[in-house]
Amino acid sequence: MIHEALPLFPVYVVDFIGALLMVVFSLIAFFYARRLTILQPKSVLWTYMFWFSMALVALAVSRGVGHTVRFVLLYAGLPTLWKTIAPFSGGLNTITFTSVAVLTFYYSNVRDVIDRVKHDAEALYEANIRLQKAQEALRKLNQNLEQMVEERTRELRQSEKKFRGLFEGSKDMIFFCNKDHVVEDINPSGVELLGFKTRDEVVGRPFKEFFKDEKQWETFRDEICQKGHIIDSEADLKRPDGSVRNVILTISVMKDENGAIKGCEGIGKDITKMKQVTESLIQSEKMASVGQLAAGVAHEINTPLGIILGYAQLLEEECEDNKEAMESLQIIEKQTKICKRIVGDLLKFSRSSSDSEISMVDINECINEVLAVTEHSLNMDRIYINKNLSDRLPGIKGKKEKLRQVIVNLLNNAHHAIEKEGIIGIWTEYDQEADEVRVIIGDTGTGIPPEIQSKIFDPFFTTKSVGKGTGLGLSVSFGIIKDHGGYIEAQSPPKEKRFRDAGMETVMIIHLPAHPEKNETN
Amino acid sequence: MRSRLTLPQAVLALFIFMMLFPSKAHAVQVHGPPEGFVVHMMGHIFFTSALIFLIYILHKYPLDNRPAWKYFKISIFFWLIWNLDTFMVHILSVRLPKEAIATGSHLIHSKLRGPFDMERLIFYFGKFDHFLCVPAMYCLAMSLKDFCKRVEKHLQTVGSDEHVI
Repeated sequence: MIHEALPLFPVYVVDFIGALLMVVFSLIAFFYARRLTILQPKSVLWTYMFWFSMALVALAVSRGVGHTVRFVLLYAGLPTLWKTIAPFSGGLNTITFTSVAVLTFYYSNVRDVIDRVKHDAEALYEANIRLQKAQEALRKLNQNLEQMVEERTRELRQSEKKFRGLFEGSKDMIFFCNKDHVVEDINPSGVELLGFKTRDEVVGRPFKEFFKDEKQWETFRDEICQKGHIIDSEADLKRPDGSVRNVILTISVMKDENGAIKGCEGIGKDITKMKQVTESLIQSEKMASVGQLAAGVAHEINTPLGIILGYAQLLEEECEDNKEAMESLQIIEKQTKICKRIVGDLLKFSRSSSDSEISMVDINECINEVLAVTEHSLNMDRIYINKNLSDRLPGIKGKKEKLRQVIVNLLNNAHHAIEKEGIIGIWTEYDQEADEVRVIIGDTGTGIPPEIQSKIFDPFFTTKSVGKGTGLGLSVSFGIIKDHGGYIEAQSPPKEKRFRDAGMETVMIIHLPAHPEKNETN
Repeated sequence: MRSRLTLPQAVLALFIFMMLFPSKAHAVQVHGPPEGFVVHMMGHIFFTSALIFLIYILHKYPLDNRPAWKYFKISIFFWLIWNLDTFMVHILSVRLPKEAIATGSHLIHSKLRGPFDMERLIFYFGKFDHFLCVPAMYCLAMSLKDFCKRVEKHLQTVGSDEHVI
């Protein structure tokens, strides 16, 4: 253990020099801290460092000055004065410690706050980035959506155009009805088929209005309600002019997204012409079979009739004196001749005549020749001829005698239909498109009732009283025209307005091919 | 609904009570000689705890190993040691008897008398506290200098106000 005293002089020297160094270093530190706050005034760390340095400068100055003054005062022998100053120096030192401590704790809290703010700011920044990305994605999506919408709209427009074209251009009737079966839309072909001029005339009308038979519509409606559709159902639609069109209808219901019926859509195909052709074909077949039958029967009957007639005439020569027997034989002869005529007509109807030569026939000339013979007798019944013969009629290849017979038959029928007082109209015309010559013979008679229109070409069908007609006139005429590659059409009332305007109730239209050999080749 | 007395309300109530029932005034007290010493020592404790807290913060949120932070950490460390040293010397100086210091004829002849036990030796060598606080201040200055250099360099290269630290 050291028992001697240790000098305090080294302590004072170290204090003095150390205090000076402290002041110097603290000022240097203060300088840099100040510079940092100038360079980056927003930095919390530099602010802390600045105040930290400030406090330490104060500490250094306080202590430095304190030590120096103490050293000087004690060295000068003024310890009392130093005792007076010392508490101020100590107090100042205490304040500086406390300040540094407060700043440190404060800085830490501020730093925490700053960290939190920074964290929040970073989170906000990231959220902003995400938002920007989302906005960009949304923008792209929007752009994409716009493109998609544009593309879909274009596709839809094209589809609409396509279907509109189909709707407008279809030759079949296409229509849409609402749930009350009222027409909402119809294409031009439908308007024409129903006999109207504009779409607006049809739209808004109940579909049942167009049915000839309302019960037929009711049947269809019930079936549509039950099954949801009707397929290829034949219907008769009436037109405002009274004519009827045969139509094949296919109708199906339209449903909304909830499955509720919102209306129906349908297609109608006009089969009027096809039906007429079919009926005509059926008629032809029927006529052909009847013709064959008639030919057989006629051939078999013709011989016995000839024998009956021969023997009757022989007996007449022998019974010239017997008046009573003579009258009976004359009746037999007369009736037998009627029978022979009928048989002859049947044979004419059934077989292709070869007894007339085929040559170029001028139909107008043919008509004039017939009229030269028949017009007088027609005039006797105050029936006058309204003749409209075309100048540009081409000649047709055929049998003049047979064609003349057809015209005679048709004039006879017209005469019969008029009975007394009327007009028989005769038109001839050439249809370049169909390449056919048409002969139209019409009358102002009573017309043909619809129920017998399909039978008028049947053999033995007649409306004349017994003995006045055989019912073979039209059948024979039908056969002759068919041999010429044409056909006869009966219209009562006439379809064309010009005939109706001329007062015709019935028209018989003979269609003859102008150049049959060309048509055959085709 | 029960109303709760808040702290400001309680303070106000106490103030009103004291105003209504005044007794012996306690507002101005006389601070005797040991109080300055105690306050000073508390200041040291406060400073020490702040430095420990700072060390803890630097440890919790480690920064880079560049000279600036190294200097700063060393500075903190020296300040801490200095604090403990001065705290101890202050206590020992109180405990030291008056006759232990011989002032002599002149200040330069002042001595610390023996016998030199551990306390007196610690007191004597503890008095050289500038060996601790001068390096602490030096390191702090160097640290700030380096920070300054870095910031200047950064501002020159980046040219923005973005913080380096």
